Amino acid sequence: MGARVPALLLAGLLAAPLALTAGTAAAQVRSVEVRSPRPFGIFLGDLVEAQVEILADPDFRLQRATLPQPGPVTYWLDLRAVAVDDVTVAGARRVRLRLTYQSFYAALDARTLEVPGFPLTLASEAATGLTTAAVQVPGWSLGVSPLREVQPQRREDPAEYLRPDGRGGRIDPGPDVAAAAGLGTLAGLAALALAHDRAWGPFRTRRGRPFATALRVLRRQRAGAEPDQAYRAALLALHRGLDQTAGRRVLADDLGDVLARHGAFRGQAEGLARFFEASRLAFFGGRLPAARAAWPLAEAEMLLTRLAAAERSA
Amino acid sequence: MLTDWRAAAARFEAEVAKAVVGQERAIRLVTIAIFARGHVMLEGDVGVGKTTLLRAVARALGGAYERVEGTVDMMPTDLIYHTYLGPDGRPRVDPGPVLARAEDLSVFFFNEINRARPQVHALLLRLMAERSVQAFGRTYTFPNLQVFADRNRVEREETFELPAAARDRFLMEIGLEAPRDAAVRRTLVFDPRFHDTDALVGAVAEGVLDHARIGGIAAAIQHAVRAEPSIEAYVVALWDALVRPAEAGIRLPGLDTATLVQGGASPRGVAFLVRAARVRAWLEGRDWLVPEDVRAVFTEVMAHRVFLEPVHELQRGAIVPALCRAAFETVPAP
Repeated sequence: MGARVPALLLAGLLAAPLALTAGTAAAQVRSVEVRSPRPFGIFLGDLVEAQVEILADPDFRLQRATLPQPGPVTYWLDLRAVAVDDVTVAGARRVRLRLTYQSFYAALDARTLEVPGFPLTLASEAATGLTTAAVQVPGWSLGVSPLREVQPQRREDPAEYLRPDGRGGRIDPGPDVAAAAGLGTLAGLAALALAHDRAWGPFRTRRGRPFATALRVLRRQRAGAEPDQAYRAALLALHRGLDQTAGRRVLADDLGDVLARHGAFRGQAEGLARFFEASRLAFFGGRLPAARAAWPLAEAEMLLTRLAAAERSA
Repeated sequence: MLTDWRAAAARFEAEVAKAVVGQERAIRLVTIAIFARGHVMLEGDVGVGKTTLLRAVARALGGAYERVEGTVDMMPTDLIYHTYLGPDGRPRVDPGPVLARAEDLSVFFFNEINRARPQVHALLLRLMAERSVQAFGRTYTFPNLQVFADRNRVEREETFELPAAARDRFLMEIGLEAPRDAAVRRTLVFDPRFHDTDALVGAVAEGVLDHARIGGIAAAIQHAVRAEPSIEAYVVALWDALVRPAEAGIRLPGLDTATLVQGGASPRGVAFLVRAARVRAWLEGRDWLVPEDVRAVFTEVMAHRVFLEPVHELQRGAIVPALCRAAFETVPAP
């Protein structure tokens, strides 16, 4: 049916057009013409294109608000689309409307139906004011026909009244399967990336060993630096190891808390207490030599070795 | 001499603890404030013992004690003058609460300070900052004056928030809560001794400390307690962390630390912090500062000096302590 419409339209346009001059049109509107395709042989559901051509004085423009809205026109006819072509040609204004109707008339016999006309307004805007001209687009007629006879031949099986279904083409599942496989692979890769980012499952990294790191720092310092400096560096390394283990900065007074939370180091409580005493003395008491005498570097190394061992076994 | 005074301070704390149970931390902080010559703001619910604590402190401290209640219609002159009609029907003008005891005044207790108007806060500012007022054509000075104020944090109607300048003058803002310990709670409620506040405060020995000499002792403490370069660096790092938490690497759940703090934490505030920390070190029997001294007084001294962006200001009660805690968990010591 759809393919038939342009052909119908062409035939209608070539056929003698219905030239009608609207009586109500003022002098500014020169002519109103409705061109319809062939006025017969329209079936249920057919799209019917009609063209309205209005010639008016050149300074007139169509007021688009007055165009008919797509939607039901009568109980059997819908307006589907309206296209407007508003141009100046050879000293006149030419307004062309292409109206697409659809007929829902289930005809029992061939008959002619009237398509209602509609009013339009053209307007000319000048410095002195706005001049409007009303245009009545006249109605036109349409010949509708039934698809088949009213009383068909009698059949045994009512199903035989129906035409057999058309054959559908075979659908190839190949591309869909390939797309699904591709997207699945992508999803898997994304999940792996997420797991890596969140340190889930196989990406869960082993807990760092801050005391082992501190021990390495201490040994490196002891080799090179001057004794006082090496001692300070060793204390600092132990502090940072403790901080990292506890997940916060540990002051001397917090030792009990930290040991309660990290049971593995409870055995080193005494050594740690002496470390804090020495660290306080060295950093805040300004008596580094006294601290070194009370708790020498060798003891620091021993404590760190024991802490690193406890950390490994924890 | 400092050792004798340390013993006196311990006696003072023991005396105050007779009247106020379960508030060891608050008593310790008030003691620190006394020896740091700083003014104290007490904040807490109704009926947790703010007034009792201050009355006990005033009694144990000795010296004259004056107390006023903040009201909406109180004017600065109400603190300085007292006008009335005498028995002979003639108008009289007498010195008000601030001037009544003149230079001997050692504890001035301002109850419900946030009920008073800004004019009164301005007078108080002068009293706290310069320990002097102008009245009757001359300047009164109060060399031993210590201002204690309290406010309850429940009510907000008809109250006036203290201006930042006045809050900055307070050495500490101590939050007082009812004790958590079940045994202490039972004692507080059932022991009839705690029902009669007057008798309770009366049991505190009078004048345990010689209030007139505390100024000299306070100065001596500040000179006697040493601060090594590492503790200086630590305090400055804490200060930085408080003002620019994002740069110090502090993250708080649900908050953007880069835009959290608007300002505050004045140099005067940090100087007060070190002052209080030194007193704490002295009370602990040390003549050098350690990070724990700073931590022990940090929240009380610094929290009220930090100003948050207005959008967070209503939740400051939760945010600022968390920020202080985070600063101590982030800044390395040493």
